[in-house]
Amino acid sequence: MLKKFSNWLDNQQHLALAIIVPVFVLLLTFAYIPAIQSFRFSFLRYNIKMPARIRFNGLDNYLAVLRDPMFQRSILRVLYFMLLATVMVIVISLAIALVLNRKFPGRGIVRTLVIIPWAIPPVVNGHLWKWIFNGEYGALNGLLFQLGIIDSYQFWLNNPFTALNLAAFTFIWRYTPFIIVLFLGVLQSIPGELYEAARVDGAGAVGQFFFITIPSLQRIGAIAVILTLISSFTVFDDIYALMGFDESTKTPMIYNYEVTFEMGRFGKGSAMAYMIGIFLFILTFFYIRMNLRKERP
Amino acid sequence: MRRKAINQILLGLLAILIIFWSLAPIVWVLISSISTRAELYSVPPHWIPHKPTLEPYKIVLITGEGFRGGGGISAAELMRKGILNSIIISVSTTALVMIFAPLLGYAFSRLTFKGRNLFFYIIIGIIALPSWPVLIGLFSEFSALGLLDTKIGLILLSFTFRIPFETWFMKGYFASVPKEIEDAARIDGCTHFQTLYRVSIYVVLPGLIAVSIISFLFTWNMFMAPLVLTYTLRSKPLTVAMTEFIGQYFVHWDLMSAGTILAIIPPVLIVLFFQKYIVKGLSAGAIK
Repeated sequence: MLKKFSNWLDNQQHLALAIIVPVFVLLLTFAYIPAIQSFRFSFLRYNIKMPARIRFNGLDNYLAVLRDPMFQRSILRVLYFMLLATVMVIVISLAIALVLNRKFPGRGIVRTLVIIPWAIPPVVNGHLWKWIFNGEYGALNGLLFQLGIIDSYQFWLNNPFTALNLAAFTFIWRYTPFIIVLFLGVLQSIPGELYEAARVDGAGAVGQFFFITIPSLQRIGAIAVILTLISSFTVFDDIYALMGFDESTKTPMIYNYEVTFEMGRFGKGSAMAYMIGIFLFILTFFYIRMNLRKERP
Repeated sequence: MRRKAINQILLGLLAILIIFWSLAPIVWVLISSISTRAELYSVPPHWIPHKPTLEPYKIVLITGEGFRGGGGISAAELMRKGILNSIIISVSTTALVMIFAPLLGYAFSRLTFKGRNLFFYIIIGIIALPSWPVLIGLFSEFSALGLLDTKIGLILLSFTFRIPFETWFMKGYFASVPKEIEDAARIDGCTHFQTLYRVSIYVVLPGLIAVSIISFLFTWNMFMAPLVLTYTLRSKPLTVAMTEFIGQYFVHWDLMSAGTILAIIPPVLIVLFFQKYIVKGLSAGAIK
C-alpha cells in the first residue's frame, strides 16, 4: 500500500501536484478570492454598520473617491512623502554603503549593526520615534536644547509640515538598511582590476567614482528607486503609531483604512483600495519585469 | 604613510557616525526603559540614568495593574499574551515555510510537469497583487470561515503572503547549485522525495535558512492585518497588543520603552546571529 503510494508519488506530474495544490488552495482562499470580493464591494453601496442596505451603485464609489477633497489632499501629501523619502533613502544608503565598502577594523560589526533598524517592527518604529519627538520630555528637544539650537522645547508633531517630514524621516531611518545591503552587494562584486586599470589610465579617486562605481550601480539603483517608491507609498504602521489619523500625515493608505475600518464604508473603501492598487501594480510590474529580464540569458 | 593614517581616522569617525545613526534611537529607548520616572521626565533628560531600575519591566510583565477600557485585563496580561501569541504565530508560519519552500523550489526547478509555468506565475502573481485591497475582502471571508480572531487564520495568511517570495528565491537557489549529486541519487534508486530530503536539502540549506529567517521577521513584525482581523487576547500579536497598551499608558513612557525593547529583542538577536543569511536573502530576493 505504502509502496504503491510511494511509486505514485514518484511520478513527476503527481509529485508536483501534491506539492503545489495545497499552496494553490491557500493562495486562492487568502489572496485571489478576497481580491475579487473587494472588487465586487467597490460597486456596491455597502456600509458594514448597515448590512441590510447593500445595493449596486455602479461607479458611484469611484467617482466619490475622486471628488473627495480629503483623498485629493492625501495624494499630494504622499507624493511629497515618496519624493522626500526616495531621495533621502538613496543618498544616505549610497553614502553609508560606500563607507562600508572600504576596509577598516571592525567593519564586519558595523555592517551587522547597520541592519538593525530594518528588522524592528514598523509599528514599534513609530512608537519609538513618537517618544523621541515628544514635545514635553523628548530626546530630540533635549539634544537640540543642550546644543543651543533651540531656546525652548517644541511640539514638533503639532506642526503639520514638520509632522509630515518627521513621519517621512521615521520611514527613511527604517528603510535605509535594506537599500544599503543592496548597494553593498553590488559594490563588493566590482572587480578590483577595474579600478586598477582606471588608475593606470590616470583616473583619480573622483574619476574612478564617476567612471566605475556609479555606472556599476545603475541597475541596482533603478531597482532601489522603484522599491523605495513602492514601500514609501504603502507605509501604514509607522504613521499609524506616530500620528494616528491626524490629518497632517493622512496618506491614502491611512485614509483608506479610516474610511473602511473606522467608518465601516466597505464600498467606498474598496473603490479607493483598487485605485491605490492599480497605481501600485504599475510600479510593481516594472520591478518584476526588471528582475525577470536578468533571469533570461 | 601619513595619508593612509588620516584616511583610517576619517573612516573610523564615519563608522562611529553610522553606528550612531543606526543605534542611537534604540539605545535611548533602552535607557528610558531602565530610568526612574523622575529622571526620565527631567528637562533636559538624564542621558545616563543615575539610579537604573528594572521596575518598568516588572510592571509590564508581572504586576501591571488593570487599566481603563481594559475590560478587567491587566496591562501585564495583555503584554504576556501578546508575546505568547506572536511567538506561536511566527514560529508556526516559519515552520510551514521551512516545509513548503524547499518542496516548491524543487518542484519548479527539478521536475517537469504540465502547467509548470502557469502555476509559477499564479504563485508569484501574489507579489504583484497589492495586499491592501485583499485585506478588505479578507475581513468578510475571515468572518464567513470563522477565522476572525484566531491564530490559525493569521498563520495561514502570513504563510500565503510569504510563500511566493520564498518559492521564487528557492527556485533560483536550486537552479544555482549543481544537479549531479541528485542525479546520482536518482540512479541509485532514490525516489524524488528521498532525493530531496536526503541530498538536495543539504545543498540548499543556506538558502533555506535565509528564507526561514526573513519569514520569521516578516510575521513577527506584521501589524495591519492582525489589527483588522483580531479583537481579543486569544489571537492578538504583540505588535497590536502593544499599540493598545501604549494608547492606555499614554504618559508612561518608561513602560512604553520597556514594551518597545521587549518587542525588538527577537528581531535584534536574529540580526546579530544571522546577519549573513539576511544579507543573502535580501539581496537575492530583490535582485534575482
